[in-house]
Amino acid sequence: MEGSTKLIPIGDFRFCNGFEISKITETKLSNEFENDDEFKALLQATFLEEAVELLDAIEQSLLVFEENHSDKKIVEEIFRSAHSLKGSSRAVGLNEIGEFTHDLESLLHKVKVGQLSVNRGVIEILLSSSDHLRHLVSSAKQGRQIPADPQLRATIQNITSGAQAAYQNIPSAESSGFQEASKEYSSQEQGFNPHSKLPPGDDKIEGFELFASPTGGQMTEHEVKANASLSSHSKSNLATSANVKDESVRVSLSRLGHLVDFVGELVILQTVLEQQKDQIPSQFLQKTVTQLSKITKDIQDISMSLRMVSLKQTFQKLQRIVRDTAQVVDKKVKLDFIGEETEIDKIMVDNLGDPLVHLLRNAVDHGIETREEREKSGKSPIANVQAAAFQRGGKIVIEVRDDGRGLDPVKLRAKGIEKGIIKANQKLTDKEAWNLIFHPGFSTKAEVTEISGRGVGLDVVKTNVEKILQGEVEIDSELGKGSVFRITLPLTLAIIEGMVIRAESERYIVPLVQVYESLRPSPKDRHQVNGLGEVLHLRGENLPLHKLSQLIGIRRPKDTSVSETAIVVRTGAKPFAILVDEIIGHQQVVIKSLGEEMGNLQGITGGAILGDGAAALILDFAELVGRGNRSTTSQPAKMRGVS
Amino acid sequence: MKESTEKSPQNITHNESYLAFSLSTERFAIPLLSAKEVVALPETTRVPHTPPHFLGIMNLRGQIISVFDLRLKLGLPADKDSETSVIICDFSPLCFGVVVNSIDTVLSLTEEQISARPEIESRMNSEYITGVTKSEDRLVLILDLAKALNVDDQLAIHNSRNLKTS
Repeated sequence: MEGSTKLIPIGDFRFCNGFEISKITETKLSNEFENDDEFKALLQATFLEEAVELLDAIEQSLLVFEENHSDKKIVEEIFRSAHSLKGSSRAVGLNEIGEFTHDLESLLHKVKVGQLSVNRGVIEILLSSSDHLRHLVSSAKQGRQIPADPQLRATIQNITSGAQAAYQNIPSAESSGFQEASKEYSSQEQGFNPHSKLPPGDDKIEGFELFASPTGGQMTEHEVKANASLSSHSKSNLATSANVKDESVRVSLSRLGHLVDFVGELVILQTVLEQQKDQIPSQFLQKTVTQLSKITKDIQDISMSLRMVSLKQTFQKLQRIVRDTAQVVDKKVKLDFIGEETEIDKIMVDNLGDPLVHLLRNAVDHGIETREEREKSGKSPIANVQAAAFQRGGKIVIEVRDDGRGLDPVKLRAKGIEKGIIKANQKLTDKEAWNLIFHPGFSTKAEVTEISGRGVGLDVVKTNVEKILQGEVEIDSELGKGSVFRITLPLTLAIIEGMVIRAESERYIVPLVQVYESLRPSPKDRHQVNGLGEVLHLRGENLPLHKLSQLIGIRRPKDTSVSETAIVVRTGAKPFAILVDEIIGHQQVVIKSLGEEMGNLQGITGGAILGDGAAALILDFAELVGRGNRSTTSQPAKMRGVS
Repeated sequence: MKESTEKSPQNITHNESYLAFSLSTERFAIPLLSAKEVVALPETTRVPHTPPHFLGIMNLRGQIISVFDLRLKLGLPADKDSETSVIICDFSPLCFGVVVNSIDTVLSLTEEQISARPEIESRMNSEYITGVTKSEDRLVLILDLAKALNVDDQLAIHNSRNLKTS
């Protein structure tokens, strides 16, 4: 991994034209590479990385273009991106991508010079092509060069040449959900056949037009109502990133990880120094320590920021999701982004995509009413969905907001009882009722839809956010007005707030987010229940009580009269309590991965260095008591270390 | 793991250096290149549900390293107080520490000086002995540490996560 990126020279290396490659070729061949293959592989790897960015840019521009057919600038941008893609892919020997892009470029050229009028069908094909290219690129990434889809190529060529053709089914590499409409096409004068099969329920679409005229003559322009209307606050930002010339160095993530690790150590040592500085007799040295603290803080801030990337890319991917989903369920949705420039740790961005996709699909599919319902309740037929990101109190907050029907606590409660999740006599606050939808196997819609449904989904969101991202999800909803799903994340995953606890002679660390409360249970609150083990009676609730020393297999010496502290954990579906010998204190710890030789130990998420230099294990209580797998974990716990 | 076995001293052409150390009363050697450094034995932290020869984890300048006790693995008597040093071994991607009684010397051996492992009945599983040599009239066993600790041990550690707590 490290080796593949560190040799990239200074200067933002983007394939905006073919010259960059030759520039690199010169600098590289002169010193580093005697081996041609190695060089080629490196070039390819770099290209593929850039290709993804270019494709992102193309897709974004296409979506804007769909809104505004007359925007020549956007076409220009798409054309330029496609052109770079073509040149670079050929230069690195990925001819299939090159050929395909060449066809695409020809089509775009026609559009650019106005020889081909743009309609929905053309946009569909362009989007399918970008999907297909993505597929080709990702295959190439895995070392497989697969041939481009001949059908799609033929379609593109046909449109470009304006040849008479009849085709059915625009093929697509990654089904985006609405290609099922088989379209019939003929280039007679009125060419378009409105009787073609349209997706059921899609009657609002008057027809797909796909009309190519080599002469740029009169088109049959049907009024097509775009189902999804997308907009972004920063359309200017949608311009291809290829234009941005920024002095930068590509550094491998693992190297940055090491840096962040070491800075974490530095911060911890600095804290020790700061705490002990009163014992230093010299005033001068004391001052120096204070100075050092300030600089350490700065270094920490900078090193953390190195790994931060803006949410823009993550958000932009959502546009396509919302557009496609809205089309399938036949709703009009306007998606807005707020704070897409908010920066977040790269490692978290990668894990944030899936939960956000789920939430947005859920919002469009379940949250928003059908058009008829909206009209009946006097709402605008165009629904608003908003994705917002901002920092608040040292945390990152990401909100997905819709102005749909809202969550009905009464219905949810009834459903919860029906599904056996709650008891019939159980009292729930509204919030608790809303949270039921995070329960595995809970789906608010009666029938399963192809978008979101099947009862999996929202519980995965919760699991991902809590387990992998160390964050929280909460819901706010008002009946008839809409819902907000709020994800709160820590700024970084490298450092966590830990609680240092002791069991026998060993010290352990528990992430503070897992600790709901801690208390000293009096003997009368502890009950031994036959067959169930010990139970803690706490404010009318009965919590299973586990002994940490037993869970981790330490044999207790004869003396059993230790004062014990119970820690209540409520992260999973079922709360429980753990008895520890002592809570030593709080500490910020840098999460370290344990060696590979340790494998995945159940209940242990990593290691950390304590203030006195000893190594300690970071525990996951829920997993340790063996509940994790049943309630919240859908996959085996991963080591969450940074390196 | 495959890399590490390739690094082991099976195909040596000329002089190769070995780090010789003592475990209990016996002497062993490992290829010097696989030893990253030697440090004094620090405090180790036990990891629950791991085999007995897995001593625990230690802090090596901010990095967390697993420490093994070879004597328990090889069936040698373990004298808790006599251990002094930890050899930090680098078999990337694995990096772990091995507790030894003392570091003796660095041997420079040619291929001829290393004989194949004797096929004798032994209380130790001889799989991870790659050769035998003589130094100061004593036999020195050349170990393949990756083999000695990985093959069955990594499995054992892997399996331990499936152990349900009682």
